[in-house]
This record gives sequence, structure tokens and C-alpha cells, in this order.
Amino acid sequence: MISKRALAVLLAGFAIGSPLTASAQTQLRAFVSSQHRPDVWRKAFDLYEARNPGIKVGLETGGNTSDAQAQYLNTVMTAKDTSLDVLILDVIRPAQYAAAGWTVPFNEVIGSDTAAYMQRYLPAYAEANTIDGKVVALPAFADAMFLYYRKDLLEKHGVNPPQNWDELAVSAKKILGAEKSENLQGLSFQGKAIEGAVCTFLLPYWSMGKQLVSNGKLSFDRDTAVKSLKLWKDFADQGVAKKNIAEVATDDTRKEFQAGNVVFAVNWSYAWGQFQGPESAVKDKVGVVKLPAVAGGSSVSCLGGWEWGVSTYSKNKTEAQKFVQFLSSPEISKFMAINAALLPQFPDVYADAEVVKAVPWFAQARAVVDTAKSRPVTPRYNEVSEIVRTTVNAVLAGTVTPEQGADQMEGRLRRVLR
Amino acid sequence: MTAAASQKQGSAQAQSRNGGSLWLRVLDPGERTLALLLLAPTALLLALIIVYPVGRLIWTSVHTLSLTSGAPAVFSGLENYQLMLEDPVFWETTRNTVLITLITVPGALVVGLCLALMANLPFRAKWPVRLSLLIPWALPLSFAGLIFAWFFHSEYGVVNDVLRRIGLPGVIWFNSAGWAFAAICLTIIWKTSSFMALIILAGLQTIPRSLYEAADVDGAGRLRQFWEITLPLLRPSIVVALIFRTITALQTFDIPFTMTRGGPGTATATLAMYIHQNTVDFLDLGYGSALAVVMFALSMIVTALYLRMIRARG
Repeated sequence: MISKRALAVLLAGFAIGSPLTASAQTQLRAFVSSQHRPDVWRKAFDLYEARNPGIKVGLETGGNTSDAQAQYLNTVMTAKDTSLDVLILDVIRPAQYAAAGWTVPFNEVIGSDTAAYMQRYLPAYAEANTIDGKVVALPAFADAMFLYYRKDLLEKHGVNPPQNWDELAVSAKKILGAEKSENLQGLSFQGKAIEGAVCTFLLPYWSMGKQLVSNGKLSFDRDTAVKSLKLWKDFADQGVAKKNIAEVATDDTRKEFQAGNVVFAVNWSYAWGQFQGPESAVKDKVGVVKLPAVAGGSSVSCLGGWEWGVSTYSKNKTEAQKFVQFLSSPEISKFMAINAALLPQFPDVYADAEVVKAVPWFAQARAVVDTAKSRPVTPRYNEVSEIVRTTVNAVLAGTVTPEQGADQMEGRLRRVLR
Repeated sequence: MTAAASQKQGSAQAQSRNGGSLWLRVLDPGERTLALLLLAPTALLLALIIVYPVGRLIWTSVHTLSLTSGAPAVFSGLENYQLMLEDPVFWETTRNTVLITLITVPGALVVGLCLALMANLPFRAKWPVRLSLLIPWALPLSFAGLIFAWFFHSEYGVVNDVLRRIGLPGVIWFNSAGWAFAAICLTIIWKTSSFMALIILAGLQTIPRSLYEAADVDGAGRLRQFWEITLPLLRPSIVVALIFRTITALQTFDIPFTMTRGGPGTATATLAMYIHQNTVDFLDLGYGSALAVVMFALSMIVTALYLRMIRARG
């Protein structure tokens, strides 16, 4: 009897209590990429919860590469799943998500002057997240590609960090010749058919002043493309890069450099923290500078970074957007720079005294992020990316010549970007 | 009682008699009706899980439907098929698929036949042989792909290690279209020949001993016995094994996907992988469906050819 009465009371409690708690508590759920320190993001979420007692934020994480996460989120969004409110997106995706109608614009939440609001960010991120006047996502953090080099080896052989790729080849050959170590590679970059290989192709292409896409139309320059593909292929043929460079992914470059087997490496900012870690064979022997240019061209980097978007299928869009505004604030940018070594999306944060103290090399990183270029902005980016990276991979493997590769790339890109 | 009324009554009686026979017919149906009734659930189920999806696939293939555009499906006739004909990657992946089929099906048949003949020898301990036949077959395809990707790894792989030990230079397998293709074909043959062997072994055991004894008496040698007795009597098992193997070969996905992801470039990508890429990665359901329709047609043609072959040979 008692248990029956207890049950009745309990049921009554639920009946009365649940609508009350629902109105008092908003439950949000955010997807964070596992390679970007979800543990530190969690602390930022806690801070928001403490300041907004009515809101609880759950954290979901998964996949370890941009490609894997995109596949997962594709499934969630095509299923119109309401369980995720906030999504972290690689910088190449906000345009695609906006075109698919998967994210809600921030214009209303921001208010009248969206231009001024976006001007606070580094220009590249203001641009990447604004499509036809709509703010489709807000920057989470910045990133770019850098040239890492072995300070100790360069000093030992009296070589300066290279200004262009030709100088790099000469320096690498000099060091390799003198060191006579079988395991040592002159240069490591991404030749596997992964997202990073898109940047591999674009770095020299951009350096020669050409664009792949202009105003949504293909502006492919065949000669520049051939030169870009040939530049990388020559590194492999001349023994500066290793023969199986077509098998090398981003984290392979990081691991091989970290093991002390690479003189020069092209990689993202995340590698720096790992090189200084306890398992690194190159701790305190690493220098980082802006990427070399093509002789006669300018130095450019590939723009990385991730953005916060709010799902169209979220049941608490406004609350989610306010939460994203908090995550994309100078305060959290500074917090993440200090605690997770993520590059800030605000120019001022680079100069912040505490940030400079915690991650001194960010002072030089600012200039690199400033010159970084965005990969083509198009709703069909996945296809563009696949075409570019498989071509880079095929050329490096010697399946096709740089000339054939450029022709194939152009033909296939024309189909996608008509 | 008027004539009209009696007529009405009569017809009512006839109706009830008819109704009765209808009931009777339901309760005690003829053989044909019974057969239809018993087949109905299966037919419905098949309609639901085969006819509907295939119909839907064909419907999607004549529409422009890309989930990344946010736009609803628009009828576009044969445009997707037109695009396909002009798509170099479609032709390359189709060629790769056909090549894989032409190499690995006979390859697996020969290896499987040898394995089956060996397993059929009078061993004292049969189970270790049978078990080792089963293991490759029982291993999931993607596992086999991942394991062999390591075997063929240019620096840490066991294959290159063996090559170097016997004084040959190592090969960067996945760095060249030809070697990568060879590595994939070898893996597929290893993975699928045990399936062939199992079916052929079952066939071998149905061949009566007495035939061989009679051949011995007539003075036929081992090789002659194989050509004249074993092979002809194995034909039905071999055809069955070939049908299954050919269809799965046309749908090859897991092993190249896990070993090379289709690389270098698109040199080892198959049609199934290209369908997956267009639908799952690019969310271009229209084009992906058109590709899938082509693969479906290809499988149907091959199956029809085999079936005709069986019928022709009786």
C-alpha cells in the first residue's frame, strides 16, 4: 500500500514538476571536434552555465579528422536530428551548411550593425562566415599552415630559414648531404588524398597570385597549376621529400618531425604544442616561420580555423545563438589561447600580455594568419576538395604527369563549378 | 405471396448459398488460391524491401536531388545519365571494377579449387585444414583490408620485409597505380578463395568413390581422372560459386576502401566506392542513384548470363 501511495505521489510530482523544470531549464547540446581540446571547451561551457543558471550545456565529441566529423554531421543534419543545437565546423563548411539550410543566421541576435560586429574578428574569418550579408556562423578559433624547421640543424650547417621553395630545396640538400642519415628527410608535407592535400596544391598556386575560384566561378590557371604540381613532385624526385610522400597525411608529418626525422615540415599550428611535449625528440629544437613563397611570388598560408554554427533543427535556437556569441567572444578566445594553445580569432588577443606569456610564438603567428587565404567558398566544396586532393595524390604517386593532372583537374572542376 | 416476392426470396436463398460457397472456398481453397495466399506475405515483404527501394532508386536517378543545395527534388529526365557518360571518373571506376572482377574471380576459382582438392585429401587430422579454410571467409572484409594494408605498407609491412630478405628491392605498393591494384587483387583473392573452396569441397564430397575406382581399373591416371571425372561433376558447384563471387566482385567496396581509399588518385577506386562517395560524402543523391542503377543493371546482366549458361548446359 505504501509503495502504491509513494508511486502516486511520485507520478503527481512528475506531472506537476516536469513542465516547471522545462520552463526553468534550457538544455543545449554542442558538438566539439575531438582534436580541439574538448576538455578545455568544457571549462568554457561550465563558465557559461555558472553565469546563466537556467542553462545546461551538454558536450558531444567524435571523429578525429575534419572529414570524419563532416560525415557524422552530414548524417545528423540530413536526418533533421534535433538533438544537437551547436556545431563546431571546419572553416570550409559554413558556406556549405548555409546553402543546405542547416544553420540559422545570427543577424537577428547580433542586432542592427552586423558589419561592425564582424569587424572585430580577423578579416579572413569575418569573410568566411558572412554569406550574402548573412552571418552564418561565428569564429571559434583561427589556424593557418606554417613552416616548421629544425633550429639546431639549420644553425649547425649555417643555413637561414628559407624565403622561397628553391632556397628550401638547396638548404635541405645541403643538410641531408652533410648529415648522411638514412632516416632524415628534407621536407615533409601532405601528399595523401586528404583535406590537407588541397592546401598542398593551393599554397604555390596562390603564391603565384592566382585564384582557383572567383565570384563563384572557376578561374583555373593551367600553367600555374602545372607549376604547383611540379614543385611538389620535384621535391620527391630530387630526394628532398621521401619517395612515398603520396602516403603522408597531416599527422604523419607531425609524427616524423617529432621523431627527429625531418628538417622542414609544412603543418598546422597544433603541431607546435606536440613538438614541445614530453614525448618529443625535438623539444626546444624547433623553429616556426611563415611558409616559403614561389620564387618571385608572395608568401601565403592556407586558412584553417573552426566556426560555431547553430542547427536549423535546434529547439532552442535563440538560447543556442547567445551561447555561441559567448563562445566566440574575446574573453573565451583568450581563455582558449592560454589553456588550449588555439590561435585567437581576434587581432587584439594576440597582443594580450597573458597570452604572450603563455604562448610566446603566437606573436609571430599573427602575421601568418593575416596572409592566409581561404579555400574556395562553394556549397559543392566537398567535390572540389576531392578533385584537387586526388589529383595531387596521383601526381605525387607518378600515376599522371603534372600536365595531365592539371588537365584532369580542370576538366573535373568545370563539371562541378559550371 | 406474390410472384415478385417469391422470386426475391428465391434469389436471397441463392445468394446465401453463394455466400456459403465463398466461405467454403476461403476455408477450403483450391490449390492455386492456397498457393497465392501462402505466397502473399513473402510477396508483400519483398515488395516492401526490394521493389520499393529499387523503384525509389530509379525515381531518384531521374531527378536532380542534392541535399547540400537545400532545394527539393526536380525532375531532370536522363540528365544524370548524360553527366555520367561524360564523367571520366565514372569510366575509370567502372573499368577498375570490371578488371577486379576479371582478375579476382578466376584467381579465386583456381586458388579455391586447389585448396578444396588439398582439403579433400585423406588427412588424419581434417579439422585444422578445414578451420584454416574457414578463417579468411569468416573475417570481415574491412578487417582483411586493414590487415593487408599493413602487410603491404612500404616501410613497416611484412611483404617488403620478406622481399628485402631475399635480396629484392622493396616496393612502395600504394604509391603506384599498378602495384596498388595488384595488392588489392591479391588481398581479394586471399579473402574470397576460401569461400570458393568451401563450396567446391562440398561438391567434391558428393562425387562417388566408385567412379575413381572404376577409372583406376580402366587404367586412367590421376590427371585424366581429374579432367574426366572431378571437373565435369564439379561443374554445378563451380557455377554456383562463380555466380556468387562475380556479383560480390562487381560490388567490391570494403577492401579497396580500407586499403587505398581508391588511391593513388582514383586508380583503385571502384564503382561501388564512387556511388558511396557521391551519396554519402557529396550528398548528391540524384547522381549517386543513377550510378547505382547502372551497377544494378550490370549485376542483373551478369546473373542472367550465368543463368542462361546453366540452362544451356542442362
